[in-house]
Amino acid sequence: MIGRVAWLLARPDRQGFATIALPVTAFAIVTALLSTVLGGAQMFWAWDDEYGATYQALAVVALVLLVVPLASLGGAAARLSARRRDDRLATLRLLGATSSTVSALAVIEAGALALAGAAVGVALYVTFVPALALIPFRGQALGVEGVWLGASVAFVPLGVTALAIVSAVLGLRRVVISPLGVRTRQEVPRVHWVRLMIGAAVIVLAFGMMALLQVAGSLIVILAMLAAAFGGTIAVLNLMGPWVLRLVASGQARRAKAPARLLAARTVLESPKAAWRQVSGVAMTSFMAVFAGSGVAVLQAMSASDGDRESVLLLADIRTGLLITVVGSFLMVACSVGVNQAAGILDRRDLYRSLDMLGMPRSTMDAARRRAVMSPLRITAVGSAVAAAAVMLPLTGIALIVAPVSLLVIAAVLAAGIGVVWLGLRATRPMLERAADGPSRAVVA
Amino acid sequence: MTGFVLEASALVKSYGPTRALDGVALSVRAGESVAIMGASGSGKTTLLHLLAGIVAPDSGSVAFRTAEARVEVTALSERERSRLRREAFGFVFQQGLLIAELTAVENVALALMLNGMPRPRAEEHARGWLAALGLAGMEDRRIGQLSGGQAQRVAIARAQVTGARVVFADEPTGALDSATSADVMDALLDSTVGQGRTLVLVTHDPDVAARCERIVEVRDGRIVAERAGHPASRAAGSSGADAATADAATADAATADAATADAAVRA
Repeated sequence: MIGRVAWLLARPDRQGFATIALPVTAFAIVTALLSTVLGGAQMFWAWDDEYGATYQALAVVALVLLVVPLASLGGAAARLSARRRDDRLATLRLLGATSSTVSALAVIEAGALALAGAAVGVALYVTFVPALALIPFRGQALGVEGVWLGASVAFVPLGVTALAIVSAVLGLRRVVISPLGVRTRQEVPRVHWVRLMIGAAVIVLAFGMMALLQVAGSLIVILAMLAAAFGGTIAVLNLMGPWVLRLVASGQARRAKAPARLLAARTVLESPKAAWRQVSGVAMTSFMAVFAGSGVAVLQAMSASDGDRESVLLLADIRTGLLITVVGSFLMVACSVGVNQAAGILDRRDLYRSLDMLGMPRSTMDAARRRAVMSPLRITAVGSAVAAAAVMLPLTGIALIVAPVSLLVIAAVLAAGIGVVWLGLRATRPMLERAADGPSRAVVA
Repeated sequence: MTGFVLEASALVKSYGPTRALDGVALSVRAGESVAIMGASGSGKTTLLHLLAGIVAPDSGSVAFRTAEARVEVTALSERERSRLRREAFGFVFQQGLLIAELTAVENVALALMLNGMPRPRAEEHARGWLAALGLAGMEDRRIGQLSGGQAQRVAIARAQVTGARVVFADEPTGALDSATSADVMDALLDSTVGQGRTLVLVTHDPDVAARCERIVEVRDGRIVAERAGHPASRAAGSSGADAATADAATADAATADAATADAAVRA
């Protein structure tokens, strides 16, 4: 019976196409990226020479970096399904459904959307395999057999779907009370300044480790120390991110002159942690891009003259992997921002409708929600890049002199990433229009 | 000069195959309170939306008059109607529909900021209105920290702060218990008709409707009856708006009103 109801409710409703298209697109991109990275990683595992282990370690780092935005994207898609479920609760009650049926439906829906998206993702991956095969690693193109997962590609959609279902179950627990009901009685959560102190301490520690790099002998030791400093600072970013966002937003709320700015700042203040969750993937990526980017640039410049061939290739490969990871992580953040926004608009459609009636221009509503994402995103991307540059201070300085083009490339990629997220936001504008139009322009009031 | 602030004639509105309004004519005098009553699906909310320029009719017309100008609401573009709503009308909804992230004073001030008033002045006016509605000391609370009745007063302040000529209220007491509901009606009436403004209210509650001067009954998209209410009846110990304070708070904003109507006509 559940299956039949789920099918009945799968028809496009008045929120339109976007509520289905967004999560499906998101899952498609996740699957395509995951398949690509897994494909590459699988080849690295086939290498058993002295550099093999390094490549394997780097592949694991890339996977870990991609898992964070992947998980938040899965959660966002599940929340969107849950919101859609809220909307159709009345329909379901008329059909005599119990609340457990309704929950089951949301999970089925999230799973079905994930599976559909993942199938598209596999198709995308297959389409791109010839292009991916041209990516050079260790001095030669990977080749089709290097990136093709083979029959095991079938397991990727299953994994993605399982993740979506798990996130849906977890997400549902949070929306048992209506989202507005949860929100309105809450005090604004505080983020403690102690975080800042811990953060500063770890940054200093990382900086100290970087200073020791000069006495380190082999490339492998250098990489290990880099990894430790990198991991520590990433942890700090997560600790400090919400605190910094709250600090900046409360200043913005005080100073705001235009309605959109005031609204945006208050939205961030409402839940700095939620604002952070949405962009934290970028924090890691941006940090890594500058951190590894400037390191690689300097090492590359140094080894160009006297390095052995393998080292030169390894550095070039790290740079390639870095670019792939940065692009992938921005794509996922853009998707999860789009999906989160879709859920947010559904949550607040009565409010948007009422603001439209009050005569608030739709451009103002749109600007407010856009700014509520873009402002934390800019702070995060720039802040993380600056933190990385600070930790790597001597290297960043050297890179600026010996390899300015590399740093330019990093800056350009970060800027493009921010642009992609903006596009993700832009994709939900039609939903805002529909929310503001409200049901009275479509059905009897 | 007819003394009418709103004049609607021959309004027809269909949603798909359903005819929500079927040739409705209604005129509202300046300073009058009118209750539109009817069962759910009768077309009462549609009538309110057409009068307020939220939705355009399939045929028929709505005109909004001020001392200075007569604006054909139905001839305005969507953008112009939005501006008219922002500058000349006020709205109170069943659930308040305030912005949860903002404080009480910011919710009210936002209406003025949208009309271009600088924030410090907007907040000053907003504080005046909140105090007039008995919310002094609660200005900096977030909406979630207010009771239902208090939140509805914030909504009333927001509807009035721009010096709205006409306030439209859609089931303003629908989510409140009867005592709070009487209190909120006092505040709403005092701050509108009590100060010479006009109130158009949609309700299914006969007690709420009776507080208005005129009751219009809508059934199947037509006005089927019209009768006088008993506007004198008030809840005991009410704490409605203090007219003097509210007047001071609105004086500035009200002058913008005439300019709006003019601008809308020119546009």
